Amino acid sequence: MSAIETAVSGNPKKRLSSGLTVTQKVFVRSRNGGATKVVREHYLRNDIPCLSKSCKRCPNIVKANAQGEFPNFVLETDPLFLKNGKIGKHYLILDTNIILSAIDLIESNLSFYDVIIPQTALEEVRNKSFPIYLRVRALCKNEEKRFIVFHNEFKEETFLNRNKDESINDYNDRLIREVAKFYAKHLSDVGINVVLLTNDRNNLSKALNENIITKTLSDYVELLPNADELRDLVPSEFSNDFSRPNEVSYPEYFSTSRINGGIKNGTLYQGSITISSYNFLEGSVSVPSLPKPLLVIGRENLNRAFNGDLCVVELLPRDKWRKPSSTIVDDEVINKNDVADNEDNEIIISDQERRLLTQEAIEAQNSKEIQPTGRVVGIIKRSWRLYVGQIAPNSINQSHTGNAPKSCFVILMDRTLPKIRIRTRRAKELQGKRIVIGVDSWPSTSKYPEGHFVRTLGEIESAEAETEALLLEHDVEYSPFSKNVLDCLPKEGHDWKVPVDLQADEFIKKRKDLRDKLVCSIDPPGCVDIDDALHAVKLPNGNYEVGVHIADVTNFVKSGTALDHEGANRGTSVYLVDKRIDMLPMLLGTDLCSLKPYVDRFAFSVLWELDENADIVNVNFTKSIIKSREAFSYEQAQLRIDNPSQKDDLTEGMRVLLKLSKILKQKRLDAGALNLASPEVKVYMDSETADPGEVEIKKLLDTNSLVEEFMLLANISVARKIYDAFPQTAMLRRHAPPPATNFETLNNMLTIRKKMYVSLESSKALADSLDRCVDPEDPYFNTLLRIMVTRCMMAAEYFSSGSYSYPEFRHYGLAVDIYTHFTSPIRRYCDVVAHRQLAAAIGYETLDPSHRDKNKMELIVRNINKRHRNAQFAGRASIEYYVGQVMRNNESKQEGYIIKIFSNGIVVLVPKFGVESLIKLDQLSNDANTSEFDENNYSLKFKDTNGKMRTVHIFDKCEVEVKSKLDEATGKRRAQLILV
Amino acid sequence: MEVYSPEGLRADGRRWNEVRNFKCHINTHQNSSDGSSYVEMGNTKVVCLVSGPMESPSSGRKPNSSSNLTVSISMPSFVSNSRKKFKKNDKRIQELCIFLVKTFEQIVIMKNYPRTIISISIVVLSQDGGLLPSCVNAITLALIDAGISMYDYVSSINVGLYDTTPLLDLNHLEENDLSFLTLGVVGKSEKISLLLLEDKLSLDNLEKLLAIGIVGCHRIRDIMDQEIRRHGNLRLSKITNK
Ligand SMILES: [Zn+2]
Repeated sequence: MSAIETAVSGNPKKRLSSGLTVTQKVFVRSRNGGATKVVREHYLRNDIPCLSKSCKRCPNIVKANAQGEFPNFVLETDPLFLKNGKIGKHYLILDTNIILSAIDLIESNLSFYDVIIPQTALEEVRNKSFPIYLRVRALCKNEEKRFIVFHNEFKEETFLNRNKDESINDYNDRLIREVAKFYAKHLSDVGINVVLLTNDRNNLSKALNENIITKTLSDYVELLPNADELRDLVPSEFSNDFSRPNEVSYPEYFSTSRINGGIKNGTLYQGSITISSYNFLEGSVSVPSLPKPLLVIGRENLNRAFNGDLCVVELLPRDKWRKPSSTIVDDEVINKNDVADNEDNEIIISDQERRLLTQEAIEAQNSKEIQPTGRVVGIIKRSWRLYVGQIAPNSINQSHTGNAPKSCFVILMDRTLPKIRIRTRRAKELQGKRIVIGVDSWPSTSKYPEGHFVRTLGEIESAEAETEALLLEHDVEYSPFSKNVLDCLPKEGHDWKVPVDLQADEFIKKRKDLRDKLVCSIDPPGCVDIDDALHAVKLPNGNYEVGVHIADVTNFVKSGTALDHEGANRGTSVYLVDKRIDMLPMLLGTDLCSLKPYVDRFAFSVLWELDENADIVNVNFTKSIIKSREAFSYEQAQLRIDNPSQKDDLTEGMRVLLKLSKILKQKRLDAGALNLASPEVKVYMDSETADPGEVEIKKLLDTNSLVEEFMLLANISVARKIYDAFPQTAMLRRHAPPPATNFETLNNMLTIRKKMYVSLESSKALADSLDRCVDPEDPYFNTLLRIMVTRCMMAAEYFSSGSYSYPEFRHYGLAVDIYTHFTSPIRRYCDVVAHRQLAAAIGYETLDPSHRDKNKMELIVRNINKRHRNAQFAGRASIEYYVGQVMRNNESKQEGYIIKIFSNGIVVLVPKFGVESLIKLDQLSNDANTSEFDENNYSLKFKDTNGKMRTVHIFDKCEVEVKSKLDEATGKRRAQLILV
Repeated sequence: MEVYSPEGLRADGRRWNEVRNFKCHINTHQNSSDGSSYVEMGNTKVVCLVSGPMESPSSGRKPNSSSNLTVSISMPSFVSNSRKKFKKNDKRIQELCIFLVKTFEQIVIMKNYPRTIISISIVVLSQDGGLLPSCVNAITLALIDAGISMYDYVSSINVGLYDTTPLLDLNHLEENDLSFLTLGVVGKSEKISLLLLEDKLSLDNLEKLLAIGIVGCHRIRDIMDQEIRRHGNLRLSKITNK
């Protein structure tokens, strides 16, 4: 809501016949400069319980909700007892600022049980940070933590009218103190105290005057038995002895009203900032009114923005515009001089001039020379989360002894982020460990942001610590499934069986019994979560019946259950080299849903009649029961098909599938489907020691594409069906065509170096031109180009059909007009939704309202897109880590390709390992001053370490020595390449 | 503010099935109308004046014209939150008038009033959600006050849906956030004389919304009935005292 509302006063109460009391709250709503008085009713009641298990009175006053459920009394009869400070058995009451700043500490299971959150505080938290509000609400659901929300403002006994001239903060503090007084009195006869935690001095002294037991957060933590463990978790701004030298001063952010005004009249822009992964002092902000992202260069202009923050930027005057840097900058290179290019303090330009500037910016972006730049003047939403890093070794004062907290720097694994300053007493102990930290603030007078220590993950380079670190870094939910979730599983557990009686209920009656079909599954070796199985048979009329059978996950995962919420939140399973993080509990994924051979399983089947040309004669969707005859690996299936002596019906069926899949593939390629490449490698683990053994590039067999083609066909058929049934909310997947600007540099490089180009008119044109880009002297060049083209592509995304018009549904890469994901419901939530929509479309069951509501679908889609992306990054990071471990033992010389050139370094890709790495100029040459960078020809000339002049170009093949090196600063092992 | 908290409380402190403070009076403007009423549902306050039955001016020309009930609503500019938007609201008000005419043509025994006009005018004094239900309730009362023959009371309320929980008698904030239906019920029956849904709602939920809505309407009918009886007794005692 754009309006700001402030309660100004309360009116006299009036008692109603229903037992409620009504009063009026008056708000002043300011919108667009004007102020309006708004009056709202506020009902006071006497049926709000204290929710303490010790209480004898409150169970008599509670009322049920619409579902007939009564509230749970969750606060323990025997809460934490503290001898010190005369506290005894007690519950905690938190004020707003404690929740906002110490949420990590509050969530930790080391302390903070039996906690009362006053409605007043919750409401304030909700207004200030919605994510933290959600975390508090999650705590209230967590049975172990025993958190409750106490609706003090609706309870007659604890509601207070706002006094005349009382500030809203004072009023809220007074309301919260009233909660403490109520509980103290209410629970006095059962011997339980309440402790109010607040760091507000004013509130603290008032509370003490009113005889409320009150502590600051750090004082309270000191009283706890495990204070040593907790002390470092107390967020920095509370450690009152925090003294910080005034190193630098960043420009202050604009006021909210100035920002709102500026965005409205078009002089300021809002967008999320992306920090360059090669230069942490260069960011870009996508702005709708400009054709290209706006550059933000330099520490001062970035003005404390973190990668991913939603910021407000302002254009800089014309003489500050620049080319994007062709230099690599990372933290190690940075010294004080970087701050020296101090831009003027305040630039004064009128709004009129600013609008003209925008016009010029658009023109400049269309030409190639200098680019408009901007500066960050405000941050709307921080992307702060927990970060993983390690203590910078040189930031600890080694001579320092004693137990006083000491500040030190933490270098984060994510190189696009700055160092974080934390205070800890255990700096030495934490050295060489992966640690998790939270960020608290970044004052304008501090060069670096301030944070606090959360916990350690373990030694750097230990497999567990690294795995956990990368899961945390990619925001993957990896904690075990909670009891609520597991309670949703069938009680029979692994003994669950398809019922014998197929007339048992109305649902099973609607299933088709397909157990007579010769179904088999084909998957990677060792696959345990079998999503899909297939069958094919020749029909008397010469056509073929082909069936794709998908695990019927939604039979077990019902909408709205805790299990469903967990799956929706995780969005996808995450595959790491040595670990799989499941979206759904194991019992379902690897057993009850998995289409294992030799047992009856529920499935959702797509049955086609295909003719000789693999054209669809008709298609049918049905819930079914199947019995897979065999689970093949790709290789086994291939051997069986290739073996002429195998003449059984199952093998014949597979041969039919293979034949049809080849036709389907050809048709797809003819329509312009892209065949792109990414340097995918697989790490083989030694099964004994779980050490990574060797790295291999993934090999593709005909049977891989057999399965793939039919999955694509099923996905397309299902997409059409659900779009037909739910035109506004069908769960679909689209892939937008890449904008031509993405290919500018690549095409430029191609034209100059290879006299080639890729066409962009259509995916067909792109596919054809890619086929033409062959260098007869270098067979790998075509693959290299495909890898580079892949990086210019847009990411495919999930969406609900109402958010785009039909022509925009198109999947560019697959060259189809409509597409969805249906075939892997065990490991993707999109497929779960598609299953439910399809089941509703064929009249099997009614569709849950959440999949029919545009807004709710929007939330689902946004989450699964994010989770999907994170899962991909996590998977890649895991491979990268293990490839590093493999290379550690095998130093070798390999072939590499130059894929990027900067004025002070080159990026080389080694296809054998699928790794790429930067080689900086000072590693290439002892005399960096002699180097010449030819930007127009994409070449770099330098005197190599033997003193000979050498020129390298983009796309050049080169030999490199591959080593793995532990990066001292980040503790990350990465490939180090040395040009030979 | 949470629209409906996990603890089962709405933004204004009510539970799911609680009606706002409902207040009504009849015969409030005895000198300027044949029948009048005043209804408060929470902070939505309306006055209703009924004139008629009176001779239709056009009756000469169209002897059998049946639609003799007219409704007009006026909303002073201080009522709506955004004062400038009044022009836009105009269309919306026309719509409301049509719903009201349709509802009351069914409930007034029109055959008793051939070639006459009953004109109803409503003034909205303040607006906080549930405008249509307030108008229905006010018209019912004013028609009774005017002594116009009707089959029964029509009482009305709106019901919204939050997730799977029905919420009774929405205020303005809730109306903005939720899809809701307005229903009018005849007397103590389950006969529905008005059902309006301007949003989408899944069919599975309709039944439970109707169920709680009907209960709500009956509760309002009872309060209106009390007021009518109170007023009736008052008049009766005045007559007998004379
Ligand atoms: Zn109690």
